[in-house]
Amino acid sequence: MAVGSQRRTELLRGVLDLCLLAVMDEGPAYGYEMTKRLRDRGLTIVGEGSIYPLLGRLERDGLVETYRAASEGGPPRKYYRPSSAGRIALALGVSEWRASRDAVDAVLAPVRIEVAT
Amino acid sequence: MTDFVDQCRSEWKRLGVSDQVADEMASDLAADLREAEADGVSAEEFLGSSAFDPRSFAASWAAERGVVPEPAGKSNARRRPRVLVAFTGLAALVLVVAAALLATGEPKVSLVATRASGGSVQSSVVSASAATPIEWILLSLALVALAFAAWLWSSRGRARLSRV
Repeated sequence: MAVGSQRRTELLRGVLDLCLLAVMDEGPAYGYEMTKRLRDRGLTIVGEGSIYPLLGRLERDGLVETYRAASEGGPPRKYYRPSSAGRIALALGVSEWRASRDAVDAVLAPVRIEVAT
Repeated sequence: MTDFVDQCRSEWKRLGVSDQVADEMASDLAADLREAEADGVSAEEFLGSSAFDPRSFAASWAAERGVVPEPAGKSNARRRPRVLVAFTGLAALVLVVAAALLATGEPKVSLVATRASGGSVQSSVVSASAATPIEWILLSLALVALAFAAWLWSSRGRARLSRV
């Protein structure tokens, strides 16, 4: 795996649960549907690590509610949506993410990158 | 794709995941993989490196979801301290009661011996602890039980130290 790709994977790993909670907060979604929503926003790196174990953990921790329903033209699927605890976790997580992002930006913003050609 | 789901299912079975939960997970996975395939997304793109290791993927998913039953030995080990505490407490109680009874000599039994000689009746009372043999047996058993409990506690402590 390339160094850049590896870094993106590592960065995403810490916030993927928030991203999943965020996309399912837009509307209940099943597993593959969530990866499509993430991919539509440019998070194609999700494929580096499956979302299923993470969804399992969110379910075990009571951060999501699930139900089975027929999908469009397909078999019944398991739909996920954030529970009340999940919405609180999402709000807190987003706040932490913004604070971390701003702090990292403050450190990295002055860096000038010059590439010799 | 079917092979991937089948391997996941056999891993869940090996781990002791209930059939109902395994069927549900397998059905969701198969449906998602079919939809990804229809969209032109390969299993590798959808599952990443997990696509090459179905057993690890299945084990990780089941573990994170909390559907892998706890090994019997582990749950026994968790229950053992309570049993051991109860056993030690009971042995200590028997020891104290037996020692107290021996010290006080209770309960007592009295024998009245009556003898008639020359028109007069002579009575003599002999008292003795009624349960002395039983108290000694209880005391001995309690001591053995406490020694056994001490050995169990120390071996448990050694096992915990070796795990650190």
